[in-house]
Amino acid sequence: MFGKIAWFEFRYQTRQVVFWVAVVIFALLAFGSVASDNVRIGATDNVHKNAPFVIGATTLIFAELYMFVVAALVANVIVRDEETGFGGIIRSTRISKADYLYGRFLGAFGAALVGFLAVPFGLWLGASAWWIDHETLGPFVLFHYAWAYLVLGAPVVFLTAALFFTVTTVTRSMMWTYVGVVVLFVAGQVMGVVLSRPGYEHIAALWEPFGAGAYGAAVRYWTPSERNTQVPAIAGDFLAHLLIWLSVAFGLLAAAYALFRFQASGSGRRSRRRAVALAESTDAAPPQAAPSSPRARPVFDARTARAQLWARTKLDAAQVFKSPAYFVLLGLAAAASVGNLWFSTEVGSYGGKIYPVTRVMVQALSGVFPFMTLIIATYYAGELVWREKERRTHEIIDATPAPDWTFVLPKTLAISIVTISTLLAGVVVSIVTQALRGYFDFQIGDYLVWWVIPTGIDLMLIAALAIFVQALVPHKFVGWAVMVVYLISTIVLSNIGFEDNLYQYGGGPATPVSDMNGLGHYWIGSYWFRLYWSGFALILLVLTYALWRRGTESRLRPRLRQLPRRLTGAAGAVLGLGIAVFVATGAWAFYNTHVLNPYRTSLGDDKWAADYERQFLRYESLPQPKIAKVKLDVQIWPHQTRVVARGVYLIQNRTAQPISQLHVRFVRDLEVNALAIPGARLVKDFGPYNYRIYALDRPMQPGEVLPMAFITTMQQQGFRNSGAMLRIMDNGAFVNEEDLRPHLGMDRSFLLQDRAKRRKYGLPEELRMPKLGAPGADQFNYIGHDADWVTADITVTTDADQIPVAPGYQVSQSVANGRRTVRFVTDSPILDFFSAQSARYAVSTVPYKGVNISVYYTPQHPWNVGRIQKAMQAGLDYYQANFSPYQFHQVRVLEFPAPQGSFAESFANTIPWSEGIFFIADNRDPERIDMVTYVGAHELGHQWWAHQLIGADEQGSTVLSETLAQYSAAMVMKHMYGPDMMRKFLKFELDSYLRARGCDVLAEQPLERVENQPYIHYRKGSLVMYRLQDEIGEDAVNRALRHLLHDYAFKGPPYPTSAELVKDLRAEAPADKQQLITDLFERITLYNVKASHGVARRRPDGRWDLTFTVDARKVYADGSGHETPTPMNETLDVGAFDVDPGDPGYNQSKVIAVQRVPIHSGVQTVTMVLSRAPKFAGVDPFAELIDRDAAAAITKVASQ
Amino acid sequence: MPSLVIDQLTHVYPNGVKALNGISLTIPNGLYGLLGPNGAGKSTLMRDIATLQAPTSGSICFDDIDVVADPQKLRRTLGYLPQDFGVYPRVSAYDMLEHMAVLKGLADGKARRETVERLLNQTNLWNVRKKALASFSGGMRQRFGIAQALIGDPSLIIVDEPTAGLDPEERLRFLNLLAEIGENVVVILSTHIVEDVSDLCPRMAIIAEGRIVREGEPAALIAGLKGRIWTKALSRDELTACRAAHQVISTRLFAGKTVVNVLSDTDPGEGFTQAAGGLEDVYFSSLSPARQAA
Repeated sequence: MFGKIAWFEFRYQTRQVVFWVAVVIFALLAFGSVASDNVRIGATDNVHKNAPFVIGATTLIFAELYMFVVAALVANVIVRDEETGFGGIIRSTRISKADYLYGRFLGAFGAALVGFLAVPFGLWLGASAWWIDHETLGPFVLFHYAWAYLVLGAPVVFLTAALFFTVTTVTRSMMWTYVGVVVLFVAGQVMGVVLSRPGYEHIAALWEPFGAGAYGAAVRYWTPSERNTQVPAIAGDFLAHLLIWLSVAFGLLAAAYALFRFQASGSGRRSRRRAVALAESTDAAPPQAAPSSPRARPVFDARTARAQLWARTKLDAAQVFKSPAYFVLLGLAAAASVGNLWFSTEVGSYGGKIYPVTRVMVQALSGVFPFMTLIIATYYAGELVWREKERRTHEIIDATPAPDWTFVLPKTLAISIVTISTLLAGVVVSIVTQALRGYFDFQIGDYLVWWVIPTGIDLMLIAALAIFVQALVPHKFVGWAVMVVYLISTIVLSNIGFEDNLYQYGGGPATPVSDMNGLGHYWIGSYWFRLYWSGFALILLVLTYALWRRGTESRLRPRLRQLPRRLTGAAGAVLGLGIAVFVATGAWAFYNTHVLNPYRTSLGDDKWAADYERQFLRYESLPQPKIAKVKLDVQIWPHQTRVVARGVYLIQNRTAQPISQLHVRFVRDLEVNALAIPGARLVKDFGPYNYRIYALDRPMQPGEVLPMAFITTMQQQGFRNSGAMLRIMDNGAFVNEEDLRPHLGMDRSFLLQDRAKRRKYGLPEELRMPKLGAPGADQFNYIGHDADWVTADITVTTDADQIPVAPGYQVSQSVANGRRTVRFVTDSPILDFFSAQSARYAVSTVPYKGVNISVYYTPQHPWNVGRIQKAMQAGLDYYQANFSPYQFHQVRVLEFPAPQGSFAESFANTIPWSEGIFFIADNRDPERIDMVTYVGAHELGHQWWAHQLIGADEQGSTVLSETLAQYSAAMVMKHMYGPDMMRKFLKFELDSYLRARGCDVLAEQPLERVENQPYIHYRKGSLVMYRLQDEIGEDAVNRALRHLLHDYAFKGPPYPTSAELVKDLRAEAPADKQQLITDLFERITLYNVKASHGVARRRPDGRWDLTFTVDARKVYADGSGHETPTPMNETLDVGAFDVDPGDPGYNQSKVIAVQRVPIHSGVQTVTMVLSRAPKFAGVDPFAELIDRDAAAAITKVASQ
Repeated sequence: MPSLVIDQLTHVYPNGVKALNGISLTIPNGLYGLLGPNGAGKSTLMRDIATLQAPTSGSICFDDIDVVADPQKLRRTLGYLPQDFGVYPRVSAYDMLEHMAVLKGLADGKARRETVERLLNQTNLWNVRKKALASFSGGMRQRFGIAQALIGDPSLIIVDEPTAGLDPEERLRFLNLLAEIGENVVVILSTHIVEDVSDLCPRMAIIAEGRIVREGEPAALIAGLKGRIWTKALSRDELTACRAAHQVISTRLFAGKTVVNVLSDTDPGEGFTQAAGGLEDVYFSSLSPARQAA
């Protein structure tokens, strides 16, 4: 009996429409996650697209989303008997309660489980797509798919199935299940993010219900080779998680049995409600018809037309809004966005926090929400177009005199209303999020203009297409299938180089949004395309009208035959209008995107870069002169997206041999209006590459100086198909020198990095840096090969209402003809590396010990101006006292619009800082790391570590700038907030480093040989330098840095390398720390220290004897993560505490004692004598070691 | 006086089924019964007239409206109750009727509500007006169907198999409703139940195999059979022989015996007695040649 019930239920569920729709959607999502280059879940250049790690991570994500399907399948298994009234028949049979409940459950759960096979199938299919680069794939291993499906996916399906089954069976209400789904999903999202912070891995592993926490904790520090080949062992926390949640699921099923009343029928809530309804309605007296009143006659005029339009729209929209599926989809959209929205204020890996400004909210919304709305629009296009037929109301409706357009137009309007309402619901969710985050500046207008209106129009265009398709096809599933094909085609077309918005239906350029600049002028191009596609949509709409299925004729051919006749009159006029709009705006868009601007595709750009490399890389080591002096006049027209630069260089032959050829290079799209070098003759102009070779009539002799003059224009006319020029905005121009002026000789800045692409174009797999100490490499610094230290004289002109800024001191300012001109000159030499900025700034300047500290900011973002200035003061004090004097008497921080990037950058005495990062930091929580001070101190540190000392262009170059700037910022933070805050900071650094190791696309390098790998020069750099200053003393480190500056500041070539830094550090370190320096800088060293068996015994003298066991291990890793054990013999901090140093309540007063003791490999016992009984004890309490399980180095202590 | 003129109407479905085969009819004012067995082409004819599908050939004219060429014009004066129709979920009778009224051109809110309320009263649905249509019983649903067909006082009303599936009381109530409808309009009642026609319709046609096999006033048609219907009670074994010997138009069971009616201009003897013919005999006698041909 049980088996038969289960089998019947299984067959019933697998014949449901929703089942197959879900299977198709999930298969497609899974397929897309692998087959699209734009989506990468877990895969990197080193981790295969079909690696077990990728399969696992993707399966988990989809399993969580799949709960919406599970709810739809499982929830109704009992309730539908109540609703259809079939329950009575079933209960009157001899079936037992257990057979009935669990048979049904098993069948539905089985269907859900079978449906979830769509995910591994989609993943496999994606990895089999023909366009996938085979180098990004590993071997196909069925076991990996099966493991992910069974161990990760199936338990989630089971848990959610049990939960929803129990909720509906007990409450007998679908509504509560929908509520439960949304609550669970949101809770999962929130837990996912809350618990993803370091220190919560264990809790997350056990209590995050979907297993993402457990899986994440198990694989978090895996190296690429592990991610490619392994699945985690089902043991430890991972096993515990499975057992806990399987027990929960079985518990729920048991609860369903206990709480379900099998015999309850007739006395149920439903029948009571029905009786009440009837009683209610019968008491109203029928109206007495007045026989004399004239009978209403039908009238067919404009008023009727309006009434019909309104009535149909109302009915169609209500049919959507009243359907439970709408709320599930809306809930899904909202739920999927809630996590994004809530945590959009959590920026970076340090736990920094920003204000939830509208721009940030809109960005967070733009992830999932439009996609879900698109699903809603497409789904209901099918539902609405076919509804009359499916509900069999079509015969009475179609026999009415309502004209055909009163069917087509209202359905379009209804879907538009649904779309807009859904988007508005997104806005409401965002605003609630803002309020809960304590931010009350609700910019409703910006939400509408930045998000609701453009996204709404884009979705309505797709809805129009969906309605048209549904009007053509013989069944709504065919229509949906066509739409799915369309959606896939948009991904595939872009992937294979067809990116033109003129033929990608609904396509248009992106509109970057910024608080500083609003939409700027970027909306113009996108709205031309919206108009263009709206014209097309209008054509589709008229065709939909003309082909509308009315009555019982559903074949396409007879309708097509009638088409010409139906397109006469008003329909023809509207069609003509649509065609006119489509053609006229299309011509205008074509002129803008193909004539005024080049049409570019990412594929074409890749090919260009590959050709560039093939043509010019051979010239990389060709001796060229270096720029000695730069004089530049920069004219910025912010509202015309144009910058004109007039410049003069003095170039000098600093090589030992004569130079007879000059290679002059510009960025690809820079217009070169003039270029003059006396005695130089153009040999070849590689136009498409903006690369020119000049021959000198008389070769340039060693030491000889030549002038070189140029005029260039950087501009965007009209609008582009994609890749709008972002660096020149109406309010916020931020132009780099390299975008404006020529460089000498070939370098690697335009070349392809991605290994898969390099392979595709037949280039060597990777372009590696010169090795540390490679001969000749120290002749160039890593900023550029065509200059050493230069003097600069830069004049910037902009509109009079804006403030222009470039590195240097302002020596003159004038305003004429609505234009403001300011000249900037530097006295000390600077790197040949600068920018020009212009915006309507508010300026705050504080003089501090002879240095003017200025912040240029947009008045909307005043929050952190004072904090930035304090950071600069603290930095100036520390760096001048410990490194060397500051070479300038000003430092300026300038805000720039977020679309130009999320970074801060240090030019000479000038620090552009994105509005997107901590300019909008929210520092109301004092427990948080002060990111403003950290970033400010880091960037100010670059005035020493880059702008005084710059590394040679070889391995380790960035150690001298980035690592030392990290160290500088860490010292500022340590002195400002104390070592406790530093522990928190270092924990984040450690975690980022360990996580990023697994994703490196090159091989991991030791710090000394870092090849511009951020996780090494920033993250590991902080850890290394912090431990070093702790081990050999801050003073010793600073002495070494002073020595380095003394030898190399403002000097070069030869430029210093990381080897010089290591040498100076070794000179300051005692003999017993030399091995430590080797481990920190020259090796990839990992520790594994575990403390256990902590026991404290009271001594006769009232003090306490503490003993605990330490098991220590040290390994060296190679570039791909293979580890070799090595003997450990170091002196480490051990300590005893009242509170675990990793826990929130920890502070200085909780430290009982810390002392340094030798720790060697293997098991040993540590003893301490303490003044009071400790609760915790362990090794390395300040988390300075690179240890993948730092928490295990602390143990609980039992007092006896 | 409006009348519906159908001329040489043929309808062939895409699968090759010839549902109507050169039908010509002139339908005057008043209730007109269209009688035929299932599959005879009644619904096809109804749908063709109701503009839900276009015939393959032939013409339909209502007054001066060419229905095939200008269906929209006919719809303005058409009330149609299909054989089987569904309803929107979660919509009440009142709301749906009001919605239909808008579609039928009653734009003025007050006048429309008056119409809706009058029709709800007339069809005895007032007490359940706020209930979802989806919860209606078959009879209630049919009354709703006729209510919506009557909106705007159409001059052509088509009711397709309205009494199928109704219990006797519901059927009676429904037929009374039809009878109330004014005599100045054309009402086509299609049915396979002879009593529906004999109770109500001054004129009728019998359709079988896509052709009109009889047309006229029921009384005249019955009169045409006068003295030609003979009846006899048989045992089951005798039936086959009887069928071979006579033109049997109907058989029915009565008290364990089979009673056969045969058509014959003269007394067939063998114990047959003359019977007073009814409309049912007209119907069955019209069908039997068609059946034998098929």
